[in-house]
Amino acid sequence: MKGYASLVKPYILWMSLFIVVPMLLIVLYAFTEHGNALMAFRFTLDNFMRFFDPVFIKVLFKSLEVAIITTVLCIIIGYPIAYIISNTSERTQTLLILLITLPMWINMLVRTYAWISILSDGGILNSIFEFFGLAPIKMMYTDFAVMLGMVYNFLPFMIISIYTVLAKLDRALIHASHDLGANPIQTFLRIVLPLSMPGVISGITLVFLPAVSTFVIPKFLGGGQYMLIGNLIENQFITVGEWNFGSAISLIMAVIIMGSMILTRKIDRDASDTASVEGGKLW
Amino acid sequence: MRKLIEFQNIVKSFNDSLVLKGINLSIHENEFVTLLGPSGCGKTTLLRILGGFISQNEGHVYFDDIEISNVPPYKREINTVFQRYALFPHMNVFDNVAFGLRIKKQDKNTIEQKVKKMLKLVNLEGYEDRPVTLLSGGQQQRVAIARALVNEPMVLLLDEPLGALDLKLRKEMQIELKKIQQEVGITFIYVTHDQEEALTMSDTIVVMNAGEIQQIGTPTDIYNEPENRFVADFIGESNILEGVMLEDYKVKFDDQVFECIDYGFEDNLEVDIVLRPEDIDIVPIEMGRIKGVIKSSLFKGVHFEVVVETPYREWIIHTTDKVEVDKEVGLHFFPEDIHIMYKMGTY
Repeated sequence: MKGYASLVKPYILWMSLFIVVPMLLIVLYAFTEHGNALMAFRFTLDNFMRFFDPVFIKVLFKSLEVAIITTVLCIIIGYPIAYIISNTSERTQTLLILLITLPMWINMLVRTYAWISILSDGGILNSIFEFFGLAPIKMMYTDFAVMLGMVYNFLPFMIISIYTVLAKLDRALIHASHDLGANPIQTFLRIVLPLSMPGVISGITLVFLPAVSTFVIPKFLGGGQYMLIGNLIENQFITVGEWNFGSAISLIMAVIIMGSMILTRKIDRDASDTASVEGGKLW
Repeated sequence: MRKLIEFQNIVKSFNDSLVLKGINLSIHENEFVTLLGPSGCGKTTLLRILGGFISQNEGHVYFDDIEISNVPPYKREINTVFQRYALFPHMNVFDNVAFGLRIKKQDKNTIEQKVKKMLKLVNLEGYEDRPVTLLSGGQQQRVAIARALVNEPMVLLLDEPLGALDLKLRKEMQIELKKIQQEVGITFIYVTHDQEEALTMSDTIVVMNAGEIQQIGTPTDIYNEPENRFVADFIGESNILEGVMLEDYKVKFDDQVFECIDYGFEDNLEVDIVLRPEDIDIVPIEMGRIKGVIKSSLFKGVHFEVVVETPYREWIIHTTDKVEVDKEVGLHFFPEDIHIMYKMGTY
């Protein structure tokens, strides 16, 4: 085994060059003053202070709000789907899971463009409404469109992480619960739901984290006015050229994301301490 | 004893393969019934039909004279101890045992009393707060039994409950289970493929093979009077030979005529014959009814397992005496040691 240990070295080099160094650069930019002149760094906290402006705080809260609503919707929609799939025959399960992951084979950008042609004023949905004599509805560039795009994109992660736990759930436990007099609803609430919590929690991480920092979906479906924290960062780098401020916001986001990860892990650990070992963990 | 459960012509198939081929069986109050058979014989399927976890294709199940085929499992007065216990991993011992009582919305004090009493019965006092995942196999087994019994069911189903335990623990649990059954005085229906387990604990053994009942009887009946070659072979070791029943009390095998105590067969009917290894004595050659040569002798603890070769076959004999290999000996048995059975499929 010892001989193979040195094989890790190229990966360490690769990761240092393309992950660690860029991140250090972000930290460097965040704590220094304006300008790209490499030799003229001056330490400052101004970039962070700038963020505590009501305008930007509002953007942060809007992002958190959108991400939380997306996550909750994904749980509400995803759990029943995962539950139903886990109760079908093995062949159907494989097929349905394939169908759910299928869209992920196509680039997210392309899928989001597809939604534009469905939702836009002259798009597919409105054409159908028109055909039935209904007044066209403005859907593009609304909260609805953004939320739809978010849920559509992140739902598979939720379904799959809940499904993985439910599929591993020992059927004998459900039989045992019925055997002891619990009807299907009692069995679900007392056995299935608590034992599937690890799946829900990892689903929350998988949905909430990308949802809180996404910028593609709000940009295309929410329009130029729709500002989430991801768009704000993108703007600072691409449009405004304020790399230092952009880096500071990125760092703030990183801290928030790390915080929420620690929190969900803690909740998961507490849950599985009482729920003990066998529930099946995804991390 | 009152009849409690009746299976009428139960047929069940899974994907075109017939698992139960018309089972008729009655089970009485306070009876310890064992469904015994090799794996795949349908014994667990029959138990699951009674528990309500699967439904039969044909036939009826009566419980206390009421047809229960369409009653869901959570409404049956039956509880089950599952093969791998199926304890709820997110609950401690107390919560597992209390599960059924809480579903029935009994009050807190009653639940606490009943659970404590049940844990005492299964020797798990003081384990209330332990997570079940940290218990040993034997302890989990006891929790599973307590969790089922605390509901005071009329019938307890046990699906190979001792299969995962080591030999010593299994023997202890056999005795304990029998004791518990006598203490609580309810019907136990026990599924196993272990014939010794069945002989030790049961009031009635139901021997099954390939979806059919082969014989129903007390352990001594099943052992001493097997109805056919399958039962004789499955229960204990035996010498099973083919012969012809010449007339009442006279059977011919290995070209010799022997006196026996069986009668009522057709004259000259071809039959199967069982001679238990412990019923055959090794004697000096001139005193034997059959002559042979000792091929091997294996020490088995309590007895030696001796193989004696004759021109017709090899005999297995259990004896406590040490014998010399390659020695010519005689074999002796009494008429009552010969047990005649109809050939399978002819009765």
